[in-house]
Amino acid sequence: MSQSLRPYLTAVRYSLQAALNLTNFSSQVVERHNRPEVEVPNTSAELLLQPMNVSRNEHEQVLIEPSVNSVRVSIKVKQADEIEQILVHKFTRFLEQRAESFYVLRRVPIEGFSISFLITNKHTETMNTEKLVDFIIDFMEEVDKEISEMKLFLNARARFVAEAYLGEFVY
Amino acid sequence: MLHLKPENLLVQKTLTEAWNANESGTPLTLDRVISDFDYTTLHLSNSPENKAVLWLSIKTKAWQSVLKCGEGFLEHLESKYSAFPGIAPVGPEQGYDYTLTVDLGQLQPDAIVQLSLLKIHVMSFAFQLAFHEFSKLSQQTQDPASFSGSNDTGIVRQLQYRDDENIFVKPSNDRITVIFETFFQDETDKVFGKVFLQEFVDARKRNRSIQSAPQVLFSHEPPLEAASLMSARKADKNRRFITFVLFPRHFQTPELQFSTVCHLVLFRNYFHYHIKCSKAFMHSRMRYRVDSFIKVLNRAKLDETDDGEQTRRTITGRKLVY
Repeated sequence: MSQSLRPYLTAVRYSLQAALNLTNFSSQVVERHNRPEVEVPNTSAELLLQPMNVSRNEHEQVLIEPSVNSVRVSIKVKQADEIEQILVHKFTRFLEQRAESFYVLRRVPIEGFSISFLITNKHTETMNTEKLVDFIIDFMEEVDKEISEMKLFLNARARFVAEAYLGEFVY
Repeated sequence: MLHLKPENLLVQKTLTEAWNANESGTPLTLDRVISDFDYTTLHLSNSPENKAVLWLSIKTKAWQSVLKCGEGFLEHLESKYSAFPGIAPVGPEQGYDYTLTVDLGQLQPDAIVQLSLLKIHVMSFAFQLAFHEFSKLSQQTQDPASFSGSNDTGIVRQLQYRDDENIFVKPSNDRITVIFETFFQDETDKVFGKVFLQEFVDARKRNRSIQSAPQVLFSHEPPLEAASLMSARKADKNRRFITFVLFPRHFQTPELQFSTVCHLVLFRNYFHYHIKCSKAFMHSRMRYRVDSFIKVLNRAKLDETDDGEQTRRTITGRKLVY
């Protein structure tokens, strides 16, 4: 792991640990509803907490929006060029299509980010919060690795294919 | 499967089947439509009178433009098959461009291979003309009396092999330039294509063992050779031009000419095939990655049996909830 990545991930980890302090909270507006307060238009200011933005640089950021019963974590994955852009888009879309097996994954990322998670009090009650944070951190590490590996693979394949084709012309 | 083979396997297989059946005295009843790359369709059927005689018809996008390339196209096709007994051209079948009759009684194994190369033979005509013109031009240059001092160049032949995509072949006195005009419908293909094309351009410079391969160039603007034919059409920013510069060593003998033409004709297919392959690979890779993420997430789940003694069960093993 590079030198600047570790403090970034540590900052995200502590911020998440602080934010994941959730309680069961019924809606104040609609009777017998229990909804993630961070996702709904809200009139009571005390339900939303101060959002936290952890940023490594302008291309890699994490936005943590805590509320009384839910936390929304949005990750911006590094996209250095056209290829990475497409790979990130493909990869996140692939994950979002399988959101039901991911429990905490949001189907649509919020504006300006590559992928979003929505953690509610239901999740923290059935899962180990510490492990949940581990998952998010692990995800952030792996995504970067995966994208750069896929890019390398694409280049390697292109090179091999081109050389194999042109090799046929060598007599 | 790294390389695409020029022959059509399905034609080969069908003909072999038909031939075997004919040998054993029970000719097959055939009516098969076989497709090939670039909107090419081949049709194999029995001739109306005799079951032991087959018709092989071809319909291809490139036909019209190949006809326009020059004189002697049908003779060129005939010459490819004249050496084999039992194969003769007839008037084209309804809805097809060209038809050959194949007499199974006289068919040879070599002929089956040649028949499966029908599409390549159609496309090769434009290249064949360019090879002829090249030899004429290069002789002019060697003969100082008639050499005007400038680089004489031949005419550009256009092969429209897909709706919007063309091959331009232009001979000159020391080389033949083949330009592929291609265009990507899909945004992802465009980016992947760019990576691949860049590698085609760089491959020759990087790898010493393929130094003698044709030079490959890549541009967004129509190269000057093809510009005269392009100007009429409006420029499209999705359009790409790939130029292959063939030197005499690539087409010295008829065998070399044939293999060069095979590879060039299949260039687009090869290139797009590998783009699709890498997409498929990435897909399976992402699938694997998703599994590993789910594993990490499942570790976070609280184990229900953790609270050992506190769970009380009924005699049938059901949990008591209270």
